[in-house]
Amino acid sequence: MANIEIRSDVSGSVWKIITGIGDTIEPGGTLMIIESMKMEIPVICEEGGTVQKFTVAETDAVNEGQVVAVLSK
Amino acid sequence: MSATTDDRYEAKKAKAMAMGGPEKLARRRAAGVLNARERVDKLVDAGTFIESGLFGSSGTRPEDNDRSPTDGKVAGFAKIDGRECAVVANDFTVMGASSGATNGRKIGHMKRVATSRGLPMVFLGESSGARMPDHMGARGMGALLGNDPTQYARMRETPWASATLGLSYGSSSWYAVLSDFCVLRKGSVLAVSSAQLASLAIKEDVDPEVMGGWQVHAEVTGFADHVAETDEEALAAIRTFLSYMPNHHNEAPPVCSVPADSGSALANIAKLLPAKRTQVYDIRTIVRAIVDTGSFFELKPRFAKVAVTGLARLDGRTVGIVANNPLARGGAMDTDACEKITSFLVLCDSFNIPIVLLVDNPGFSIGVEAERRRAPGKIMNFMQALQLCTVPKISVIIRKSYGQAYLNMGGGRNSDEVAAWPTAEVSFMDPTFAVKIVHGLSPGDTGFDEAFAQMNKDSEAWGIAAIYAVQSVIQPHETRDYLIRMLEVHRQRLTNGVGQHLMRAWPTSF
Repeated sequence: MANIEIRSDVSGSVWKIITGIGDTIEPGGTLMIIESMKMEIPVICEEGGTVQKFTVAETDAVNEGQVVAVLSK
Repeated sequence: MSATTDDRYEAKKAKAMAMGGPEKLARRRAAGVLNARERVDKLVDAGTFIESGLFGSSGTRPEDNDRSPTDGKVAGFAKIDGRECAVVANDFTVMGASSGATNGRKIGHMKRVATSRGLPMVFLGESSGARMPDHMGARGMGALLGNDPTQYARMRETPWASATLGLSYGSSSWYAVLSDFCVLRKGSVLAVSSAQLASLAIKEDVDPEVMGGWQVHAEVTGFADHVAETDEEALAAIRTFLSYMPNHHNEAPPVCSVPADSGSALANIAKLLPAKRTQVYDIRTIVRAIVDTGSFFELKPRFAKVAVTGLARLDGRTVGIVANNPLARGGAMDTDACEKITSFLVLCDSFNIPIVLLVDNPGFSIGVEAERRRAPGKIMNFMQALQLCTVPKISVIIRKSYGQAYLNMGGGRNSDEVAAWPTAEVSFMDPTFAVKIVHGLSPGDTGFDEAFAQMNKDSEAWGIAAIYAVQSVIQPHETRDYLIRMLEVHRQRLTNGVGQHLMRAWPTSF
């Protein structure tokens, strides 16, 4: 079982985490929404997998490229 | 011919057609990889290939003559979907398809004929690079390199398409990046030289896939316009690309039949745009709804995703689509996006393809990283390319259009026509930022509200339409008909649809 690190494409703050630990995300599915440049930018899992953990919480600031969750596949 | 002459001809032909021999061919077959002749067969219309240089072999070392059928590069002319093309396919089973004296002359001839007769050119790349020991020493260099002063001078007289279908070093890579369309098959490597040579030169282990694999070129360099799983898929992608292109720069692209259900998705187009202005969406769903059904062929989809570039058809005619994609980083354009769009504008203008710009972005990405990546230069290359385009350009402002990016996406007189959806929002910058910059005030500070009211001028479509800086406000579902009609109005009748190609000598990669 391989772990996949999911990173934020943008700097901003975590607005809403819309999935939970143990959830299965389909390829292309949205994991959470980052607020950046006054826009709601989804964090998308290209490959899909099962959510193992989140490394950020809602309202946290995130940097571009920061790991926000770990999925297993 | 006497029997002896016949026999000799047949024996020489059989030897040439046998390529690098049954063992090497069997190994490729077992690996699921096509050989050079199979690739040509899959690429072109059956029975149309007329070979040039079948009996060529090593030009510099007589001792290699016997083991260098076709000198490792199969070349000739053939029809692709009924249109004449010139083709060079590297035969890796023959001395690693390395570049030698004879095959260099073959490529030169193909290019000259393609250029002077107006034929698209196709390169099927897979080569170990310069042949050794032929190129070694002063005499090797002098005899084999640099004797054609036009070898790498790309003037875009005819479209070039390339596929990288294995290990590709040296001139095979040069022709790939000099092409207007470059597809990589997964498992291929496109690089200056082999990982082995790189390891020797820099004294560290180099992984070929990390150095020049498909992911590098699809996501980092942007050299790959398209990625294919198999050789067959890559060859099909070349045929698809060429279907949008004219044979040469002095004619308009071909006109195709229009699928019957084209435009049927327009009924729901307004639903594809979220009502909430802060919510993002994938612009490609809107592009697909507007253009002829099934005609959108996206280029560089994994590179600079904030911008979408691709070929499509509107009412059967080729158009180039440039669109911001809010799904990625809100659509804010970075330097990679500038380069992606610039190279696409040059492609379209060089081959008489009208351009449609779909606008929804908050501006250019700014900051330390952007400046270090030469943002001003990249933004101006993009802007200059847009202004030098002589093909028709039509912009549709879907939602946001801010600051300099308004101009880069065709705002004002930078497109021949500008339309706005009623959802359009045009201004120089966010009014909150403007208050901070001009007055030094943030929300909550005394005087902020008054200053904000002064800055927060009407940014709706009606304001810009009232002063005729956009010529039309259209409903989303009218977009397809509007574009078809306006492209008809702006057809270049005086020159039979042919532009001036002011950027024909611009680089093919930035």
